[in-house]
Parts: sequence; structure tokens; C-alpha cells
Amino acid sequence: MSSPCQPHEHALSRRRMLGMLGGTAGFGSLLQPAIAREVVKQNKQVCLIWLDGGMSQYESWHPLPESQFAGPFRSIKTSIPGVHFSELMPHSAKIAHKISVIRSMSTKDPNHSTGVPRMQRGDPVNRGVDYPYLGSAVAKLLGPANPELPPYIWIKPGNGGFIHREAGFLGAQYGALALGDGQAPIHIHRPDAISAQHDEARHALRKKANERFKAYRGAAEIDAYETSYEMAQQLMARKDIFDDGKLNPRDRERYGTHPLGRHILRARGLLEAGVRFVKVNSYHWDTHGDNFNMSQRLVPQIDRPFAALVNDLDESGMLENVLVVVMSEFGRTPVINSRLGRDHWPDCWSLALAGCGIKRGAMVGATSKDGAWVEGTGYDVGDLFHTIFTVLGIHPRRTNYRHQGQKLAIAHDECRPIEEVML
Amino acid sequence: MGRQALLFCALAGFALAVLPCHADSLPAAIDKFITAKASGTLAERSDDAEFLRRVTLDFTGTIPTPEEVRAFLSDNSAQKRAALIDKHLAGDSFARHWADRLSVMLLERRVLGKVPEEDWRIYLQRTLRGQPRWNLMVREMIAATGKGEVRPAMKFLGNGDQHRLTEDIARLFLGRDLKCARCHDHPSVDEWKQAHYWGLFAYLQQTKPATHQGEKKVYFVEGLATKKIDFQSVFTEEKKETGPKLPGRQEVAIPKFEKGQEYEHPASDGLPAVPRFRPRELLAADLSSSEHGAFLRNSVNRFWFLLMGRGLLHPLDQTHSENPPSHPQLLDLLQREFADHNCDLKWLLRQIALSESYQRSSRLPEGVKEREPKRYRTAHPKGLTPEQLLHAILRATGNDRVLIQVQPPGAGKFDRRGYFSGTNKNLPHAYDDIRAIFVETFGQLAGVAEDDFAPGLNKALFLMNDRLILHWLEPRDANLIARLRKLDSPDAVAEELYLSVLSRVPTSEERSEVSEYLAQFTDRRDTALGDLAWALLSSIEFRLNH
Repeated sequence: MSSPCQPHEHALSRRRMLGMLGGTAGFGSLLQPAIAREVVKQNKQVCLIWLDGGMSQYESWHPLPESQFAGPFRSIKTSIPGVHFSELMPHSAKIAHKISVIRSMSTKDPNHSTGVPRMQRGDPVNRGVDYPYLGSAVAKLLGPANPELPPYIWIKPGNGGFIHREAGFLGAQYGALALGDGQAPIHIHRPDAISAQHDEARHALRKKANERFKAYRGAAEIDAYETSYEMAQQLMARKDIFDDGKLNPRDRERYGTHPLGRHILRARGLLEAGVRFVKVNSYHWDTHGDNFNMSQRLVPQIDRPFAALVNDLDESGMLENVLVVVMSEFGRTPVINSRLGRDHWPDCWSLALAGCGIKRGAMVGATSKDGAWVEGTGYDVGDLFHTIFTVLGIHPRRTNYRHQGQKLAIAHDECRPIEEVML
Repeated sequence: MGRQALLFCALAGFALAVLPCHADSLPAAIDKFITAKASGTLAERSDDAEFLRRVTLDFTGTIPTPEEVRAFLSDNSAQKRAALIDKHLAGDSFARHWADRLSVMLLERRVLGKVPEEDWRIYLQRTLRGQPRWNLMVREMIAATGKGEVRPAMKFLGNGDQHRLTEDIARLFLGRDLKCARCHDHPSVDEWKQAHYWGLFAYLQQTKPATHQGEKKVYFVEGLATKKIDFQSVFTEEKKETGPKLPGRQEVAIPKFEKGQEYEHPASDGLPAVPRFRPRELLAADLSSSEHGAFLRNSVNRFWFLLMGRGLLHPLDQTHSENPPSHPQLLDLLQREFADHNCDLKWLLRQIALSESYQRSSRLPEGVKEREPKRYRTAHPKGLTPEQLLHAILRATGNDRVLIQVQPPGAGKFDRRGYFSGTNKNLPHAYDDIRAIFVETFGQLAGVAEDDFAPGLNKALFLMNDRLILHWLEPRDANLIARLRKLDSPDAVAEELYLSVLSRVPTSEERSEVSEYLAQFTDRRDTALGDLAWALLSSIEFRLNH
């Protein structure tokens, strides 16, 4: 809302750069626009794969078949000598040398309802505001990578639309364009009753009306308004990136035909098209009962498309600039409960990172032999956010949001980047 | 009387009519202060159509009908602007629209507490239909217990979250965003102290909801306050304490009672005992007192903002010495006069609307390239609120009937999320569902003030491709397109179209554009008419209250 530096002349170009998921509000509310602009050139992108409910580290990245807490699955060798994943992850095992795994995540919140927002906001020090989730934050900090496309797209099961609740104090315009089951929201489709020529004709009328109005009022908000229509038309023209019919059948098979596979394949297309931040949500990982049958069904659903995504990005060279994160709000308990389930365990769990300044083949984090506790340094989500911002070229300490005159750190003040996974 | 004298009287009468106020009236004083600081060319007075649209949107939340535009443009009465303002202030639409405005300002679209939205609206509308006194409205909301016919006033108290209330009261009624001062003195605003936050909090600390055992209804009660509240900055070791205290005012002493004498009423009806000392009730009275300058100043600034598009002090919640008002004397005067007129809301709005400053055109004067909002040289265009936009679209397209539509009996709840993602192929029928779609598309996040015009991709896509909008642009009953298709001459079409959608007469360029477009698409005249209307609905001119 207020900022000491709002050079009026820059208003339009910056608004255009922000790509008009946004509007006039909030622009100028960043303290380091110069840094942000610099980074736009580098075209860093993010794919966050969110396994909601909490994937079991024992049945995925950190199998400990010798431990008292082991489940029924074997561990298998990976492409890195001496490193093993669960046998439920054969594809990821083959690309272990391309990714980093942190096995010493030690976060704080064992509840879904507060843990999910805490993790996706990166748990900055409470300053009495609702911090944005990572996707909205990156949309704000970096703007769109391709100015024709919205900076934050969220692929999720169920319904889509424009969902702005994740934007927090940044305001609605930094929310997500949500693709329900990978499909574009209905308003991206021109109704059948209107042909392309017909649409063009009515837009020509609209533009002329705006030009006439502007002639006497000439203000930046009028340009911003016109830009929002240009953005809408550009997005509609790129509807193909949401079209399942355009997918290569071979890719569909490689990624898997289950929703997570289809959604990660869709994410790849969006990244290729230049969407800055893509989040893919998968639900039902909360295996309090029957953890092993559920893991046997679920884990392959992330294993296959994750490995395919990393391989594809690597082959196309995009992995240099695209950060891929696979995580949950916490891991699962070492102790197997009476229903053959594992409960919530934030104390020691694993996540995977790849690309964009992340080391290839770093397996980070020592734990007790049974995997229950971190030995040495444990990492909280604040450290993860410092890492993510740093590899994206956003200085986590020097960059601040500015909100109603208040300077707000983008990440937890006392955390640091996790050097062990960074190039 | 000689000819010259007659001429003089006629001229004087004319001057009085154009500026219907004598020199020391409030509207004239507003203009004096604004003119004195304009330091540049002022825009001309708005023409009648611009004024009519502006005042109708501001006071009734929608645009005028084409008949109203025609009637106003052909009305030769010198007093017609003042008469229009008075008519609007007395009407039901004023109560409906300002209930929306006040509700959005006070609750910021949060879903709060146990009072149904509907009851809250009815309550606000009932107050606004009469002679609403802002200080009494605020007092009623803060002191609310949930008893009697003013029960819905307790909506503002929400779930009784004392920190939210402290922040909201500071922001909305004192113009101070004290959020940061909860944990320490404000980092960038020296005069905002942690003690201000906790002084306000101390008034609310004992407030809590309680459920009546028999009725199973929630009421607001106060517990027993016996001592000051402790607080400590996260940056220092020093412990401090405060009793109930408004910034810059006397701290309220917490009375000591003999044991057994603390309560006015014992617990009854399933509700706890009522203490003699009830700080929230005191807050309600002290805050909204006509002696309380900070409250009055913030109030007039917010209402000025709602009509003028920019606060004299802006941003509205940054009241401190580093952010001085653009026109301090004017703010002083408004504050004083508002108090002298018993915080009469309609009186204040009327005075502002009567000023030439409000009635100025939003067109830039010759040779001027950009607006300078804080100088008010032109009218400042305001974005339509989601509700204004919906009502204006319904009015423009002749689909006002939608306003009274309800869900047919037996029909299930409308699946709004499915509507946005395309899985729900039905069109919403009930006004409430349609309003919710507009609020979701054009409104802000819950808890964020809607005080800025923010265009956006999703908003543009909605106006371009939403099925409802297209549905309203199909000829039906006596709606706009049905009326237009009956008109043979393109010129008559242009006139009816512009009067209906943009509330003004088309220019000759616009008339020929309409004529050419219709000539180009003779094979699909109905949809061509729809296109012409759509283009105006989607234009920036429609989207702004300019």
C-alpha cells in the first residue's frame, strides 16, 4: 500500500512485468525491485509437489530395513553407491544422482490444519500478518517468467478457479490460477456461441471505447485495465497448454495415468510454457491405518512421474533453472500403531529437491539408527525457505516485503540456507 | 425595478443556483480549502450525466435507468442536483447500498460469529433508513451483548477474539494500524506505542461469548476485571502494565469493590454474573464520544474517502505525524462540524456531495497529463465494488429481476466452486449465489480492505466468458437487447444503448460506430447488439465510478 519508493514513471512497466494476475494494489510493495528484475532474466522456475497428509519416509526416501521400525518393504540400491531408497521407488532410485534428499527435516507442527500453512508459508517470525504461501511469494518476488502466463498455477484434484487465499497479505492478485484435476477454469474457454471472428470484433469495440475514455483521463489504471484483458486473451490463446489431447501418449505412460502422474505431466508442460511456479497437490497420504498397503499403492504414484519429470527437465536442459521440490507437512512415526499405520512425525523426516542450484546426488542428514531422531543438525522449514529463495536468486535476508509501511522479512530471520544441498 | 436590477437579480439567482450554498456553508468551505491547495488548473464541473451516474452509484449502489438519465438531462430546475442527492438519501436503495459499504468496511468480508449475514444486513439497513448517527452505531456495535432487537449489532464482535477486536478498533475507528504494537513499539511509527495496543486491549480483555443454557444462544458478556494488564516488549526485559486506556486519553481506573459487591446481577438464565465494572461498555461510550477527536477525525476521513476516492489522510489507517493529511484545516473543520451535527451520517455525505469538489469532472483539464489525487483537481475515479458492478450490470442489461430471485424450493445448494471449474453446468438463479460469484471474482481476500481499483486477469476472463453475462445479453422479456432489437434506426439503438449502459448520450463518433457495426453484421443482428452492449460493459468507463 505504501512504499518509500514508488517512482510513478515505472508504474506501468512494472505492472506489466508483474503480469497482471495482479493489479495496481501491492505493486511497489517490494523493497528490492532491482533484484527481482535481475532475476526475471534468469528464468528460474519452481515445481512444488505437495503430498498432503505426510508421506512415510520409511517407505520412500529413507528405508531402514534393519531398524526396529522397518516395514515390510526392502530397500534397493540407487544410482549412488551406498545410498538406498525403498523398493517402492525404483524409478527415483535410478536418478538419485540427479537429486538431493534431506533426511534430517525436523519441523515443529504435528497437525495438518496448522502444519500445512506453516510449511507452505515457511514459518517466518510472526509479525501479525498472514504470510503468503510459497507460490504466491515467488509470484510476487519474481513476477511471471513468461509475461503471457500467470506466475502461479496450482494443479489439484477437485475444483479449480482463481483461488486467492494463499496470497495472504500480498492481496488477491497474487493468488493461484487453480486447475481442478489439471483442467483450466471454465472462464478460460470462450463460450461456443462466440466465434473467433465474433470475439475479435467485440474486443475491437471494447478497445475503441477504452481509447476514447483514456483520451480525456489518461491515467495508469486505464492501461492496467487494458493489460488485464490482453493477459486474458494471451492466456486463452495458450489454452493448448491445458489440453490433454495434446499430450504425447508415450509421456502419459511414462508419468502414469493416475491423477498425480497426469498432473505432474501437466506441470511439465506449464513449466515448458514458462509458468513461474507450479504447485501439484496430491491428497490422502495420511496413513494412520494400513500404512503399508497404502504406501504400496501411493508411493509408486510419486516415484514414477517425479523421476520422469527430473529426467525430462534434465534432458531438455531446463533442470538448470527449474527447482523441483517433493514434500509434505511432516513425515510419519517410526512406531507402527495398532492399526498398522504410522502417525504424524515432524521430528525427523525426508524430502527431495532437484535442479536450479541444488546439488546432484547429495544425501543430507544423519539420523539415529532407527531413523527416529536427527543426529547433528536438523532443518526446519525456515531453512528450507532460505535455501529455496537463495537458489532462485532471491536474497533471503536482503529482500523484504513492504506491507502498509512495515518491512517484513521474506523468510524466518534466524534460519539459514542449507549449504549441503546447494551447488 | 429597472432592467439592470432585474438582470442582476437573474444573474445572482443563477449563481446561487449553480453554487447552492452561501459563502460560509460547509460545501463552500470544502471548496475553499481544496481550491487553495490545488496549485494547478481545476477540472470543469461535471456535466449532468457524469454527476447523475456518480451520485447514483455512490448513494444507491447502481447506475441510473435510461429514463432517469433522460429525465435528469431534460430537467431545467436549477436545484436539480441537490434535489437528486436528497431523493437518494431518503430512498431504500441508500440503506441497501450503504449497508453493503459499511459491512465491507467493518468486517472486510470475513465470516464472523453467530449472527446470520442476513440479520446483520437487515439491522444495518434499518438504521440507515432513518437518521443514522455514526457514533451511536459504533457504540451499539462495540457495547453489544446480543440482547433485544439490536442483537445483530454484535456481529462486529465476531467470535470475541480480543486481539482482532483491538486491531480492528484501532484501525477502523482510530485510523491507526497498531498490529505491530502488540509485541513492541511500532518499528517505523514512533508515536505508536505498545502501550496503545494494550490500553485498548485492556478494555476488551474480559469480553467473551457465553452460551445461554436454556436458549442455546450465544451472548457477549464481560468477566470481572480486577487488575491492570501486564505486557512486555519482545525487545526488552522491562515489564509494563496498563489499565483500559484510549491513545492520548485518561486511563480508566479499575474500581475495587468489597467482596460480594463486585456484581450488579448474579448469574442467571444460564449466563454468568454481570460485573459492576464493564470496561467494554465504557470503551463503546468513550471511543464514540463527540469529545473524542481521533474517532471523529478518522470517521470523517473514511466517509470522505468513500465519496472522494482518496482520504484527506491517506492511507486511511496511517494516522501519525509522518503521514500528515493533505488538507489539515479541512479535516479539522469536517471533524468539528460532524460533531456539531451529532455525527449525522446522511448530513455529512450530503455536505460533501453538494461541494463543487465532489461534483468536479474526472476529465483532466486541457494540457494536464496525469491526475494528482491528493490535490483533488479532478474527481478521482473509483473502482466499482463487486456489488456495485453486479447491480450496474443488471441495471444496464435490463435484468433487474435477478435482484429478487431466490433459490427455488427444494433446489440444493448451488455448487459455486464447480461453477468456476466447469463441473457445474447450471447457471445460478438466486441473487445471493450470483452476488457470491461476483464477490469472489471482484472482491478482496477476507480481512483485506477493498480500497483500491485492482484490475486482474481473472476479472477480465470472467467478463469475457462468463455464461451469466452472455445470458443477460440475450433478448428476453423487456431487457436491454429485447428493447434494442425493436428499434429500427441505428441512431435510436446507439442512444438507448449508451443511456442504458454508460448513462450518457453517445457522441457522433459513437453513433457512427454503432451504425457501422450493425451494418457489418446484419446476418446476426441480435448478437451484434449483444456485442455492442458487452463492449461497453467491459469498458473501463463502465468499470469505474468516474
